[in-house]
Amino acid sequence: MIISNNVSLIYPDKTQALTDINLDIKPGELVYITGPSGSGKTSLLKLIMGMEYPTSGTLSVLGRQVNNSRAGNIRRIRRSIGPVFQEFKLIEGRTSLENVMMGMRFLGVKPKLMKDAANEALEEVGLGHKKMSKVENLSWGESQRVAIARAVARKPSLILADEPTGNLDYDNAINILGLLKSFRNENTTVIITTHATHLIKDEQNATFISVDKGRIAIERRYR
Amino acid sequence: MKSFLFNIGYFIKESGRVIKLNLLSNIFSVIGTGLILLLLGIVITGTNIGNRLVLMLNEEAEVNGYFSETLTSEQREDIATKINNMDGVRSTRIVDEDEAKTRMEDILGEEAKILELFDDNPFEAFVEIRINVDAMDSVIDNVKSTAGIEYVRDNRDVLEKIQDITYALKVLGYLMIAAVGITTFIILSHMIRQGIYNNKDQINTLKLLGSPSAFIGFPYVLTGVLLTLLGGIIAALSMVILINGAYDSMVGTIPFLPLPAREELIEQMTLWLPSLSLILGFFGSLFGLSSIREKS
Repeated sequence: MIISNNVSLIYPDKTQALTDINLDIKPGELVYITGPSGSGKTSLLKLIMGMEYPTSGTLSVLGRQVNNSRAGNIRRIRRSIGPVFQEFKLIEGRTSLENVMMGMRFLGVKPKLMKDAANEALEEVGLGHKKMSKVENLSWGESQRVAIARAVARKPSLILADEPTGNLDYDNAINILGLLKSFRNENTTVIITTHATHLIKDEQNATFISVDKGRIAIERRYR
Repeated sequence: MKSFLFNIGYFIKESGRVIKLNLLSNIFSVIGTGLILLLLGIVITGTNIGNRLVLMLNEEAEVNGYFSETLTSEQREDIATKINNMDGVRSTRIVDEDEAKTRMEDILGEEAKILELFDDNPFEAFVEIRINVDAMDSVIDNVKSTAGIEYVRDNRDVLEKIQDITYALKVLGYLMIAAVGITTFIILSHMIRQGIYNNKDQINTLKLLGSPSAFIGFPYVLTGVLLTLLGGIIAALSMVILINGAYDSMVGTIPFLPLPAREELIEQMTLWLPSLSLILGFFGSLFGLSSIREKS
């Protein structure tokens, strides 16, 4: 699913974001990436999304090499990923339904199936009743759920959620984590970054990657 | 391809949204494109009329080869046939001494009485050679070197002027087409880039979701094509009004001007201007889109 060998990332301003990252994430894993702000969590997600290229080392995602790939190859990788961005990146002026459908339009899905899948995803995140609401009129939590619906509606092999609990209170944060975990199955890997380690301290059947100053430590808790 | 077919409705809706987002600017762009295309229509029509004029003058272009006095009429016929077969010669006709005199009498009118002072017909027989202006030099050289031709009268100055006018008209036409093409390209690509800038967040999100550039760009190409087509239609309608107005006011005023048929011209403009606007719109939009390609 994701294999990296000695991957390092140095930004153009010479900031060393990641150092010698070695990963082997298997299909169907639930992965938490933890660490304080600025530790390199988002940089790791950016590498997986092809938003940054490794400065050294090799990285393959979903069987495709990321290193210096052409734009077309990176887009192909992204089509199999369901991203939930920290700032959601919903498209304003459109309804929740249109936003969810937007993530599927270029996947060759028939319009009817696309609409059904979008409706189903919105129901799953508990926003079926808000499907015709413009996204700029939704609350923070609702917007986040629309972003999750957009990510899962396209049946991705990999769900990437960047700090989904960032601005939420405890109950809502637990709910969102529960929702994201529910999409994990034997074909779908879920990777969640969070700095709120207290929310996941009792988690089992998951892989924990803690990032600190660009280096990682991996712990697998499986029964 | 499937994605495109399944999303035709979406593309049209998106295109309408892009137009509405910058409505005033887009309206001015349509008017601007329409005016430029109208200008092109006028130049094409002018060039068309000019070409007809040149063609007409070309058909009149001729040189005269004067026979040696000793030739029999059979020999003159042979020489005329030989000249007729030369490259660049359209037709030949022998004008004998009597016809030459009659022609001069026609030209002189009442003054023709002066010709009665001559005991004998002072005019010589010659072969009237209609030529292609482009081949003027080689035809004159070949006729001059033909046995039995004493000398050649060629009106070279007039013929050269005709050549110059033809060339100038062609160059002006090409320059105008180039100017219109470049200007339309610039207007369109600016319009498309403005649309892309206004939607940069949406485009960025689509890229992150893995959308191919062609899918992201298609609504903008559609927008460019629609707006330019609208400009083309405005230009075509304006040309129809102009042509009708011009023909109504010119009937009988300038009879020597070889105007094409009004219907033919209108048909030409209503077909060509919108078609040209479609082509310019497509390529101009692609050019404007170049800014969202490549980067992942």
